[in-house]
Parts: sequence; structure tokens; C-alpha cells
Amino acid sequence: MSDIKTHTLSAAGVAGAIALAVAGATFAPTAAASMERCYGIALAGQNDCAAGPGTSCQGSSTVDYQGNAWTMVPTGTCESIELPGDRQGSLEELDRDVPGRS
Amino acid sequence: MTAQAEARRDPTRGVGPSGARAEPPIPASAGVGLKPAHYRDILEARPPVGWFEVHPENYMGAGGPPHRYLEAVRERYPLSLHGVGLSIGGAQPLDTAHLERLAALVRRYQPGLFSEHLAWSTHTTGFLNDLLPLPYNESTLAHVARHVSQVQECLGRTMLLENPATYLRFQDSSIAETEFLEELASRTGCGLLLDVNNAYVSAVNHGFDAADYLDRFPMEFVQEIHVAGHVRRLDDLDQPLLIDSHDTPVPDPVWILLERALKQCGPQPVLVEWDSDIPEWAVLMGQAERAQHTLERCHPAAYRHHANAC
Amino acid sequence: MPTLAETQARFVAALRNRDTAPLPLVLGRDGEIPALRFDVYRNNVHVSLVNAIAAAYPTVERLVGPDFFRGMARVFVGEALPQTPVLLDYGAGFPAFIERFSPASTLPYLADVARIDWAWHRAYHAAEGQSLTPRDLSAVPAEHLGGARFTLHPSVQALASPWPSLSIWRTNRHDDEVRSVNLRAGGEETLVSRPGHEVGVWHLPNGGSRFLHRLLAGETLSDAAGATGAEFDLVTTLQTLLTSGAIAHYRF
Repeated sequence: MSDIKTHTLSAAGVAGAIALAVAGATFAPTAAASMERCYGIALAGQNDCAAGPGTSCQGSSTVDYQGNAWTMVPTGTCESIELPGDRQGSLEELDRDVPGRS
Repeated sequence: MTAQAEARRDPTRGVGPSGARAEPPIPASAGVGLKPAHYRDILEARPPVGWFEVHPENYMGAGGPPHRYLEAVRERYPLSLHGVGLSIGGAQPLDTAHLERLAALVRRYQPGLFSEHLAWSTHTTGFLNDLLPLPYNESTLAHVARHVSQVQECLGRTMLLENPATYLRFQDSSIAETEFLEELASRTGCGLLLDVNNAYVSAVNHGFDAADYLDRFPMEFVQEIHVAGHVRRLDDLDQPLLIDSHDTPVPDPVWILLERALKQCGPQPVLVEWDSDIPEWAVLMGQAERAQHTLERCHPAAYRHHANAC
Repeated sequence: MPTLAETQARFVAALRNRDTAPLPLVLGRDGEIPALRFDVYRNNVHVSLVNAIAAAYPTVERLVGPDFFRGMARVFVGEALPQTPVLLDYGAGFPAFIERFSPASTLPYLADVARIDWAWHRAYHAAEGQSLTPRDLSAVPAEHLGGARFTLHPSVQALASPWPSLSIWRTNRHDDEVRSVNLRAGGEETLVSRPGHEVGVWHLPNGGSRFLHRLLAGETLSDAAGATGAEFDLVTTLQTLLTSGAIAHYRF
């Protein structure tokens, strides 16, 4: 990015870095164009006085987690993260390195 | 709030221990629970809703967008704070840090009303985030009354206490819920928030008559009413089990009970609560209009503009 | 008759552990054993708290999928209830929990991605503060600024990860179609800030988070910069701080 990648920082070096940084930086607080720009993103709060969404009386609140009783595997976007060791994508391949899994 | 609306209220009611009363008060009209999904609709269109209510716990961050939105709404509408975290029925002492957070929000937003639930939610192990039921007996009564007085002293104002929706009852309950609430209000000077949906949910769940519950409810202490929706399930014995889910339109039996209640307690602020599966604003607005219409039909003299007989 | 404290202790034990019966304290409609009715309370507690975790960690949920995420969050909730009723503060310990949650050990970057989610969440709710503009700073003679000490905006947080956690976070948070990220690309450092009302997430040069923590500790600009490694890119770091509105005040 710059010539001022310093090994030892002199006062002049710091001053130069600041001058360069100030010249290159743009801080523009967003203009009030839409409501979101005025107030920010509106996110739902988590404190409610009702049974939460997805609740029922079906007893679904338990997930047995006792070490090897856990049977779930990640199914999201994590497969697009390329894994180290020249293995790409597949979680199953990495499983063999993890103790307690087969 | 108009002078006419102000005159409808009994001026001796709603005056706290210190005599303080925040402005503006909540009008005896339909209000709506404020949800972030509707900030935009509300601020842009300024719908003709009498007032809004929020859960103060959702505004206990130090800053950021939630406060920006709430301030903007508060500039345009009366606001009520409806707490869900105080655990006023908890066996342990009230959380004074939480009380202080509430007091700070009350100072900042000057709500017309502050209410909480006749329930508990905190235990020594932590906060359980549900409104859990209480055994109704002399010892619980004395305990909850002390907590209510402590809250009112700390906030410098009267609070309202809401009847809960319950799914089971305690073996060692010896006092009827209506009597329990009446006694609490008498001892502490607090007002009551009558949740008509909760009354219906509990009535079905425990096999009593909701209309009878309302007839025994101490209406002279009521300063706010809630309506909401619920879902219907069956319990182990195939008995109906209603769950207070706040995720549907207000069902007909609750509207009918609202009319019954309003005839007994006079014109009051009526809140439409909808907390899950939040619909678009127009749907909530329609519910608020129906609540307003119900108020006007029950008390035509109090709403001169369009007075239809009840 | 049990005291209120005893009743509630028993109630909580039954809420938290399915093997503990709530009886004989509570009754259903006809005095029967109210197992299903008690489950309503059990579910309300646990589902609502899992929802609170999900609200703060949307990127983690996308990475592992909703089923795995909710299962993992349910275990976390089982271990650690909120300690205050303010749920926007709940979940700070989730990244550390992920780190020792063995079913997630195939995703070694997951905890650091979670830390960026939490920093975003904290910044969203952080106190209001001022942000210096480059113009404010250029009003001070540059040769004096090395001796300046900075106060940072209350929302500012800096994170360092041995994984390309920011790249993973960014594509999962913002892209409709997630781009692939090479885990061997090396570590990344991240700056989170909320100047005004919009949370921003920036890439920091290596050593940037250490530099920032030294500024936060009250060191002068020169001292903080001098204490970082030989390859430290001070210009880009300062540019990022200014662009992100991270600097609130300076003093000498």
C-alpha cells in the first residue's frame, strides 16, 4: 500500500504516515436518503411476552447431547470453505481426523 | 390527548406514591405493540393509532438504531412500557440493576404507563425468559406486594400488574387469581392491566368460565387492556390446551370478552399485541381499528365523533 | 407447604431437566399429571433463548445450517442461562463454547466467525459517540500527532484470527451465493465500528488489532505503532481507522 511500512518508526515516519493516511481516507457519514440511512437497520428485539415462534407443547425443546449421541452434521454453506491439506469442500473427509467420529 | 379524553379519566386514579405522572398519558383508545418490522410504516405514514407499547428490555442497549427509532416514535405518539423481565413474583430479591435500567428508560422516554406481569422468570441460576406461574396463597401475596411497592418506590410512579396466561395451576393455591390481584392492588396502590386473551386462555386451560372471571375481576383498578391471539392444542388427556402465542389475529371469543370487560371498566387504553409471525402493518392496523370500534360502540358518549349504539 | 423459593427451585429443576418431575406441585385441568402442559413452559424457555442466540449469530447459522445451529445453541442454552433479563446481552460466551463443542471441530474457523457476529451485534447496540474526520485530524500539525493519544468510538472492536475469518464472514453475511474461501489463505484481522447508526466491518492490516488495543490502553500513536511488528502497515491502518470513524477524540 505504501512506502511507509516501517521497520523502525521515527517521529518523521509517523508524521508522514499520518499525512498519507489523512490524505487517503474518506469518512463520509451516510446522508439521510432513506429511513434506514436515517436510523439504521431495524432488527427485532428478543424480549417478548408471548410463547416464542416455533414453540409448542410437543416437547421439542430437548436435544440429547452426550458426546457420541450427537448425530447432526453441519449442512449450511460451510462446504464452500476449502479445507487445508489439499482436501476441498468435503466435511466427511475431514471427519477421519477428528477423534471419536467415524 | 384531548381535554375531553382527559376528563373521562378518574383524576384520582393512576397517581403514584409520589403523585408523579408522566406526560402525555395513554389515551383510552386503541394502541399497538411496536415492532421493528413496522418502524418504517409508522414513521412514514403516521397511522392514526392512539399510542404504542414496547418491551423495555429490548431498549436496554446503550445506543444504536433501536433508540433512534423509539425516540422518533415517541416524538409522535404516547408510549407505554410493558416489562417482561422484572420477575416480580420471583422468590429472590428484585434485581436492583434491572430496576435501575428501567428507571433510566422511564426518565428518558417518559412513558404514560409502566406495566409488568404477575409471574416470575428469574431464578438463582439465571433468567428463564418465560412468564412462569405462581401459587396463589397468603405468603406469595405478601411477597409480591412487597416487590410491587419496591418497584413503585424506585420508579416514583404507579405500576400496572397483568393477569397471566397459565397452562397449569399449583396444588397449594388457595386464593382465586381475581381476588389475588384485587388484594395486591388494594395493598400497594398499583393498577391492573387486564389481558382479556390471557383470561380466555387460562379459562379454557383450567376449565372455568372466562365471562365469570371477568365479572369477578376488580375492574375499578383496571387502567389498560390487552387483546391478542393464541393457538389451540390438545393436552395429554385430549383436553383443549391454548397457548398464548400472540401470532394470530384476535379471535372472536376474545373480542366478545373485550366488550364485556369494557362495559364494566369504562373506556380504557386497549392494546393489540402481536409478537410472533408479525404481519404487515395493514393487518395490525385493521386489528387496532376493530379495537377502537369496539371501544366506541361500548362507550358512545365518550367518543362523540361517531357514536354508534353498542 | 413448600416455600415460594422451594417451589420455584423445583420448578426450574424440572424445566431444565426432563428427568425431573414437577409434581406434586402443579396440576393440569382435572388434577392430572400435566406433562404436556409443563412442556409448554420448557419449550418457551429453551426455544426463545435459542432464538436469541440465532438473532445474534446469523452468519454462524448460515455456515452450519439451521438444524445443526439450533442443536448447538440448545446445548449452549442448557449450559448457560442469561444472567440478566436483557437478552441483547445474551450470548457473549457462544464463540468460546463453539471452540470446545466437538461436533463443530471440523470447522476450526467457526468460533472466530462467531466473534465477528458478536462484535457486529455489540457495535449495533453500543453507545453513541463522536467520529473524527480526516479533516479534523489534518487540522493538527502532523509532526505533533505522533504524541497524540486517541479515544476510540464506543462501538470499536478489533479481532485477530489465524483463519481467513473475515472473508468467510463477509461472503456468508452478504452474498446470496457464497463464494468459496481458501482456508490456507492465512489469518485476517478485523475492525468493527458503528459511526452514526450503520455498523461497518473492515479488514485491518496484520498487527492492526494489536495496534488498536495499545491505543485503547492509552499509548501514544508513536508508541503504539513502534510496538507492532516490522511489516506493520501504519498508513493503511490509520486510513482504516479514519474511514471507519473509529477515532472519537485525540489529546496530548
